[in-house]
Amino acid sequence: MASSFLDREHTVAPPGSNRYLVPPAALAVHLCIGQVYAFSTFNLPLTKMLGTTQSVPGDWNLKELGWIFSIAIAILGISAAVFGRWVETVGPRKSMFTAAVCFSGGFMVSALGIHWHQLWLLYLGYGVLGGCGLGIGYISPVSTLIKWFPDRPGMATGMAIMGFGGGALIAAPLSVILMTHFKTATSGGVLETFVTMGVIYFMFMMIGVYTVRVPAPGWKPAGWTPPAVPKTLITAGNVSVDVAWRTPQFWLLWVILCMNVTAGIGVISQASPMIQEIFAGKVSADAAAGFVGLLSIFNMAGRIFWASTSDYIGRRNTYMVFFLLGIVLYSTVPTLGHLGSVALFVTAFVIILSMYGGGFATIPAYLRDIFGTMHVGAIHGRLLTAWSAAGVLGPVLINYIRAYQIDHGVPKTQSYSITMYIMCGLLVVGLICNFAMRAVDDSRLYRGSAQS
Amino acid sequence: MRGRLILLWLLVGIPLLWGVTETLKKALKLFG
Repeated sequence: MASSFLDREHTVAPPGSNRYLVPPAALAVHLCIGQVYAFSTFNLPLTKMLGTTQSVPGDWNLKELGWIFSIAIAILGISAAVFGRWVETVGPRKSMFTAAVCFSGGFMVSALGIHWHQLWLLYLGYGVLGGCGLGIGYISPVSTLIKWFPDRPGMATGMAIMGFGGGALIAAPLSVILMTHFKTATSGGVLETFVTMGVIYFMFMMIGVYTVRVPAPGWKPAGWTPPAVPKTLITAGNVSVDVAWRTPQFWLLWVILCMNVTAGIGVISQASPMIQEIFAGKVSADAAAGFVGLLSIFNMAGRIFWASTSDYIGRRNTYMVFFLLGIVLYSTVPTLGHLGSVALFVTAFVIILSMYGGGFATIPAYLRDIFGTMHVGAIHGRLLTAWSAAGVLGPVLINYIRAYQIDHGVPKTQSYSITMYIMCGLLVVGLICNFAMRAVDDSRLYRGSAQS
Repeated sequence: MRGRLILLWLLVGIPLLWGVTETLKKALKLFG
């Protein structure tokens, strides 16, 4: 019985259903899995599992613990690519349920790892199992939303992916509150927090599982008719996932996403020390933490703003804005630092971070424009490997180049200038790829029925 | 249908709003 409830045919919306019920269902999943961005909240407490108040020999160190997040993000990209086709086949309800089981299960397995003090169980639990939940959960509502909102696909997917950005804003204070609540003289409260969060997130994701609906075949919004002459770069047909990833368009989009994300991650990973070192004496550690918080808010807000804007100005133009404005802002940042203007410096970075989030949120609609709606979720899943690559490339570029410069006598404040110019270079590569984007050749279009 | 719609949006909106408020409180330290 349970399996039939989860099947795609049981999720078809009855006539008269309100399509605005679907975005909160997607948000219920994305708000939970976005917790991954706040995982660092646990890092310091996890280094004191044996010593409770301080690290003692045998306790885990930050370097070892850093791998939990890295594994989770890598598995996110891999699982989205591997399970994308399955998600398209079984529909959003079963895939959201699977994501909930994996993500919450990841917390539970990790709690066992804390209990037995076995780090490999955290790698396996939160990293691998939780990472599968992240990947499947991330792509599960995408194609459903695009089918419900053919008139505004950017806004629809932007709402869901905004949730991923918002998830960290909820998880960071929630984790602190729970750890404080469960803290005792002999425990930091991390184990209990993991179990509680696993339960809370499972229940919250169930809201999405129960609510999500797919539109009936051939459904269209009332009063909306597809444009008689499709706009440039918007296909009227569909491309299957197996064909799509062999097209140059897929790899152009892969590089576009990778470059945009790499540049953004580079900033996020260095935001706090960067503002403190550039404005030494002017910006305290507390204020720098505020700067990071502000970046998170703009990262989230940019997702809905830019994705919605792309419905009006077009996907390629939106990315043109990301790359051109990004190049201007990144190249101006060193000058703003030299001028000593904190306000202008912060303004430049909040715009940059809004475009980082916007890049994630606009890509599903860009894929739909190029490859059609048939396999857009699965194609999106494969494209997310660009995120995994950027997750490695961004911090490596920033950290190693900066360390190399400082080792060779470049003052710390100036080392950021060169990093910013490197980010500009990445954006130029993205700009060229975006400029080269063309519609898919007709010979690549799927000839069968699109009701897969 | 309308009641369900409002309830759903509140269920996802309230935690999100709380998260944004908590983060904004922290962000204000940048200007304080």
